[in-house]
Amino acid sequence: MTQPPSPSAAPAVTAAPNVTPALEVDHVSRWYGNVVAVNDISFGLGAGVTGLLGPNGAGKSTLLHLMAGLLAPSAGRVLVEGADAWRRPELYRHLGLVPERESVHSFLTGREFARLNARLQGVADPDGAAARAIATVDLIDAADRPIGTYSKGMRQRAKLAGALVHEPRVLLLDEPFNGMDPRQRLHMMTLLRSMAAEGRTILFSSHILEEVERLADSVLVVYAGRLAAAGDFRSIRRLMTDRPHTFTVRSSDDRRLAAALMADASVFGTELVTGHVAIRTADYDAFTRALPTVARDAAVTLFEVRPTDDSLESVFSYLVRR
Amino acid sequence: MTASGPGGNIYDLGYQPYTGPRLGRRSAVRALFSQSIRACYGIGRGGRAKIAPFTLAAIAVLPAILAVGIAAIAARAGPAAGAIGDASPIRYETYHGLVGILIMLFCAAQAPELFGRDQRYGVLPLYFSRVLTRPDYALAKVLGLMVSLFAVAVAPYLILFIGRVFVAPDPATGLAHEIAVVPKFVLQAVLVAGLLGGLASLIAAWTPRRAYATATIIAVFIIPPIIIAIIAAQASQDLARAIVLFSPGDVLDGTNAAIFGSVPDSVVVAQDALPGWAYLAAAGVGIAGSVGLTVRRYLRIAT
Amino acid sequence: MSVMAPLIEVTLRGLLGRRRTILLALLAGLPVLMALLIKVSGGRPDSDRILDTLVVRTVMPLVALIIGTAAIGSEIDDGTAVYLIIKPIPRSRIALSKILVAAGLTAAMIIPAVLLTALLLGSRNDTATTVVGFTVACLVGGSAYAAAFVTLSLFTSRALLLGLAYVLIWEGVLSGLLEGTKFLSIRQATLGVAAAFGVHVPGDPLAPGVSVAVLIVVLAVAFALGSWRLARFEIRGGD
Repeated sequence: MTQPPSPSAAPAVTAAPNVTPALEVDHVSRWYGNVVAVNDISFGLGAGVTGLLGPNGAGKSTLLHLMAGLLAPSAGRVLVEGADAWRRPELYRHLGLVPERESVHSFLTGREFARLNARLQGVADPDGAAARAIATVDLIDAADRPIGTYSKGMRQRAKLAGALVHEPRVLLLDEPFNGMDPRQRLHMMTLLRSMAAEGRTILFSSHILEEVERLADSVLVVYAGRLAAAGDFRSIRRLMTDRPHTFTVRSSDDRRLAAALMADASVFGTELVTGHVAIRTADYDAFTRALPTVARDAAVTLFEVRPTDDSLESVFSYLVRR
Repeated sequence: MTASGPGGNIYDLGYQPYTGPRLGRRSAVRALFSQSIRACYGIGRGGRAKIAPFTLAAIAVLPAILAVGIAAIAARAGPAAGAIGDASPIRYETYHGLVGILIMLFCAAQAPELFGRDQRYGVLPLYFSRVLTRPDYALAKVLGLMVSLFAVAVAPYLILFIGRVFVAPDPATGLAHEIAVVPKFVLQAVLVAGLLGGLASLIAAWTPRRAYATATIIAVFIIPPIIIAIIAAQASQDLARAIVLFSPGDVLDGTNAAIFGSVPDSVVVAQDALPGWAYLAAAGVGIAGSVGLTVRRYLRIAT
Repeated sequence: MSVMAPLIEVTLRGLLGRRRTILLALLAGLPVLMALLIKVSGGRPDSDRILDTLVVRTVMPLVALIIGTAAIGSEIDDGTAVYLIIKPIPRSRIALSKILVAAGLTAAMIIPAVLLTALLLGSRNDTATTVVGFTVACLVGGSAYAAAFVTLSLFTSRALLLGLAYVLIWEGVLSGLLEGTKFLSIRQATLGVAAAFGVHVPGDPLAPGVSVAVLIVVLAVAFALGSWRLARFEIRGGD
């Protein structure tokens, strides 16, 4: 059975034990009349990159805005560096947000927009900070054109530059890779990873599995306003014991191997497919230990052993179909 | 249609094209027309969209209800009821001055929604790629606005009329008494709805952004009368007379006076000694012109 | 206070887009045009009447409405307000900057129009009185209108329409009918200030003390209410 999230403790995702998490969401709910957008979600975040994954309408943006102090929780609390996020402008000294909505002041140039953000943040050297932010997001060429002339990807980068000028310790990004081409996306992913390595807490939302799989150290899966799972997605997969793992094995004698494996307690299905054996097992650990022994005893050489459904996609589809 | 080959398959899912009868252009126009009326009153769009139109309509009707209420109460006091009715400031001929502003606000509130929304969201190509022609689209919307305005414009008069018929000692004589007024106020309401609706449509069709459209519509309605009054008083009467027909507010004041044979609110109109039919003609020209220009706008709009 | 400069700058630049500036210039230029027309036609000039009916009752509230509702309203509408909110700035500063810009821009548009009209046409009474009276009145009255509309746009997305209804229905008709409510009208307070300087205002103007008090109260309440509302302003996500 999959363990339900314990109602009393806030399960930490990336926060180190005994350290106040940089960002803590404590039994937060948010409803609009009869519609519950966020339903009793709890988690804690520390340094590193966390992906907030969920289909459209799952409540990702609402959750991000709650964390950014732009919405009041209907129940529960959002704590950033130990203090309440709602109605506390001081929060923004160390928190940055890249909102999802496309619009930025289109009459400002990229550089002016970054500079505006720097001045409003009270940064000591606004021009320098703006220049650094523009360089970091690779927008130097277009920095002196009005944002109204930018493409969608350039606008995203301008927004990011605006959020970076004050070097926030916590950075929240709402669907940041929207409209970016692969090169820009790679660039931004590298940037976010390096920021996380400096000790910053980064949370980004997405409904695209590949992005989250590639970038995030850990994931938060939300579905219909509820937190479906939290943590490293491979660990989550391990916890899904009511769903068998599948392995693909290529060997010197597939039929012999399959017959031998069926005798082992950890295996409950084998299937011979042209070129390989597909094996279904309920117990990941027991099987991985048993396989080499069984193969050796049956005098079969293993060429390739690959878990077939150990992807974020299978985790996700399992979680949202429960 | 199922097809299969070595590389792939196409499966027959049972989709069928529609081969039945299709409602033609007329239905499309009728549908757009009724949708425009619904949009003007915010029907089908949630509570917030109804606040502006219904509040304005309610305020417009309020004095009439009050007048009828007072007359009904007074009628119990005796046969002098008719005298009280005539002495109240709320009469057929004075009602225009009371509610003109509200109809103008109704236009300013709803016309931008009606015309600007489709332009802002770029859905015009969806309309124009149907049986509906461009003039059909424009006319259906303009007529929708005008009919919505007419309902608000005529309602107070109807209430006054019905009230007076029933307050009279005998409904039959009351009816005979009041019936002559009906075509008069219907005509005035038609002119008000037509002229203000037509101009608001034209302005809204040219200004997709809601705030600018609203501001421009209101400016066009309320500023010219003030300017003309100033010109009449301080510059030259002739100049004022020449341009008074260009001010929709004054024109409707003039038509009201002409139809009811009463003294107009606007001092300029009263002084001007332009014959009543001049105002009626100006209103007609204004209606036709604004509708025509709106159609022209949609004939030429780029999509 | 150094955060006021960028706030004011970005608000001004946002307000003075091409279309809006043209519309405002046309409106503010109307009285001057009228003055020229009358002067040229050699009629019987009475700048007091123009300043009263055209400026104070019509053009000034309209200009204040357009500017006031756009100062923060347009940013809320198109989603760029968030960039001002997620900054470590006291909400009162944001409200103050918006109100200052709206009031200042309104004054910048209206005062020259007042001056030109009054100077072109002179006055039936005393030109100096007219100039000073209406300038001060429009300065404070226009600012009160602008501030009120800025705060109104923080509460509703249809602030323009509500403001119009207030100016046209309440100030135009109702408060005229109900004598006791005269003090609830920015228009009456503005005219009262002008009357305090000796301008001849038709009807029965509000007492000077009451007029000034009303305008100051409007400004103060607009600022306080605006700051209060900004502190609780919620921005929903797109999800």
